Amino acid sequence: MVSELPWDPATGTLRRELAEGMINPACRAALEAALRIREAEGGEITAITMGPRMAEEVLREAIALGADRGVLLSDPKMSGADTSATSFTLARAIEQACPGFDMVLCGFATSDSETAQVGPQLAEELKIPGVGYVDEISVSGRTVRMQRLADNFLETLEMDLPGLITVTSGANVPRHVPMGGLQAAFDSADIVTLDAASLGLDPERIGVKGSATKIVNVTSPMAGKKNIVLTGTPKRIVDQLFERFDDKIGGAIGKDLKRDKQKS
Amino acid sequence: MADRRDFTGRMSGVAVIRSNEVDFNPCMKHKVVRKAVRMFAETELGPIAHDIDRDARFPWEVVEKMSPLHFFGLQAAKRFGGAEMDSISYAITIEEISRVSAAVGLCLTVHNSVGVYPIERFGTEEQKRHFLPAMIRGERIGAFCLTEANAGSDAGGVETLAVRDGKDYVINGTKIFVTNGGICGTSLIFAITDSQNPQRSAGVFIVEKDTPGFTVGEIEDLCGMRANPVSSLFLEDCRVPEINLLGRPGDGLKIGLVTLDTGRLGIAAQALGLAQAAFEDSVRYSKERQQFRKPISSFQTIQNYLADMATDIAAARLLLYRACALKDSGRPFSAEAAMAKLFCSAAAMRVTNLAVQIHGGYGYSKEYDVERYFRDAKVTEIYEGTSEVQRMVIARDVLAQRT
Repeated sequence: MVSELPWDPATGTLRRELAEGMINPACRAALEAALRIREAEGGEITAITMGPRMAEEVLREAIALGADRGVLLSDPKMSGADTSATSFTLARAIEQACPGFDMVLCGFATSDSETAQVGPQLAEELKIPGVGYVDEISVSGRTVRMQRLADNFLETLEMDLPGLITVTSGANVPRHVPMGGLQAAFDSADIVTLDAASLGLDPERIGVKGSATKIVNVTSPMAGKKNIVLTGTPKRIVDQLFERFDDKIGGAIGKDLKRDKQKS
Repeated sequence: MADRRDFTGRMSGVAVIRSNEVDFNPCMKHKVVRKAVRMFAETELGPIAHDIDRDARFPWEVVEKMSPLHFFGLQAAKRFGGAEMDSISYAITIEEISRVSAAVGLCLTVHNSVGVYPIERFGTEEQKRHFLPAMIRGERIGAFCLTEANAGSDAGGVETLAVRDGKDYVINGTKIFVTNGGICGTSLIFAITDSQNPQRSAGVFIVEKDTPGFTVGEIEDLCGMRANPVSSLFLEDCRVPEINLLGRPGDGLKIGLVTLDTGRLGIAAQALGLAQAAFEDSVRYSKERQQFRKPISSFQTIQNYLADMATDIAAARLLLYRACALKDSGRPFSAEAAMAKLFCSAAAMRVTNLAVQIHGGYGYSKEYDVERYFRDAKVTEIYEGTSEVQRMVIARDVLAQRT
């Protein structure tokens, strides 16, 4: 799983120091998918994330939910990585920490930057097939069958393992964290922290230095919210409301109010 | 002590005294506990919290979801199916559940603190194996039955009588205002075994719901906590085997006092959750509600209310966590638990009162949650030892200190 941290909309940088350690919703769905596959097929789940030391929190939560172990990639040299450098770093870590892995499950995108690039790039880096935006997964032997909704078509695809799947947040509704698992995740969890040196990574290929792209500016769209006070008698207010917002109200209830009015 | 833990080792972060430093930041575990329980409470209890209060309905469907997540054995040992939480995690759990539904928080804290805990603390290995697993699975909800018509704050006034008959005890008496009464599976009944010597012969008997002679009375029609079926319990020639006696005859008062210390932490946490919920609603509402063409949060009077509420809550939380930390370190915590319970419940009253005031007429309406918080808060000053009893406990400790 890949998890990133929230952006500060004011400065356009990652709020690493304030990181509330949330598992990205789609990554949580990917973990749920992994847990269901393990329930059906057996196997072991390793949760991987890259980030500052605080990112350990999401690994503990993943272990509380049922992951067998956690791997934290943490090194100041890794910071500021674009999606390509992130995928490169993750791939090398997966090769080292999970040799002989069968499946890599990622959230289809993070809820903050939403590039949806890390999953596909990671598959390329690992030289394995990859399928994105998957809702349902079933495994039989070395073949995995997946369903996804693409342009309103329900697609069924098959892929041989090892392979990579990115999971949507819709289908695999995550389970709640069991309290016992949570205590165990802090008492006796298997979490390893790897830095660039222990992964033998060339500092020129990771972090800011290894990033071909750079975010110049981030702006958050301002929601166009405005309070409008309508005055008068209730009838007048309702009339005004429909006059001014008939297209919006019509859109919400699926009726063309202007045409209805003309008819009557 | 069964629940003694290496506090500094396992709970680094919250009010841990290291050399000359006190750390007031929650540790990573406590943050994750709060986040996880809040997510559960908001998804599973949020949509029904208002309706179960209105309908005075206990939500069994939520019990089914809570059981596999160990909510019914929060601090119990893993070998019986519990989660072995530290006390601060426990307080956070009760707080977060109560923030959404105090009545369900009440069910949990009574079950865990004064149902499961005394059996685990004072029970024999045989008793633990016999009674705990079903309770921790949530199949048998616990109840603690001390109060009677002539006994409450004065535990010495208990009149329920348990008479030895061969290898059994035969119990007769009536318990009132039993929290979880209507849903209880396993009740702890305080009874005297010698009517000539009530103080020295008090014992605690574990009575299960299906025991002949044990019946549940009508559900009380109470001001708040309406989703929790509080009731009387009747014991008429109720025969239980010797294994159902917790400790020895005469241990009852001691078991009761120790159990109530722990119970107070849970009620304090419950009161804190109520205060937190009322506070959050008030902040949100004061920013939305416009009067004199301004949000009411721009008026200094409302700001003062919000400042007082925030301060009350912060102080309450620190008092509670200190008592929890003391408990986990194995040190005495009776007075601190009483202070936490006294202050948290009073804070809940002050905060929910101001919350209704800030909401104006809407706050007095059942349409708004603050009306429920206001009703729910009052009883936190009454049960698990009234505020007057907490002051007795604190004063006793104060006066016992050397001057």
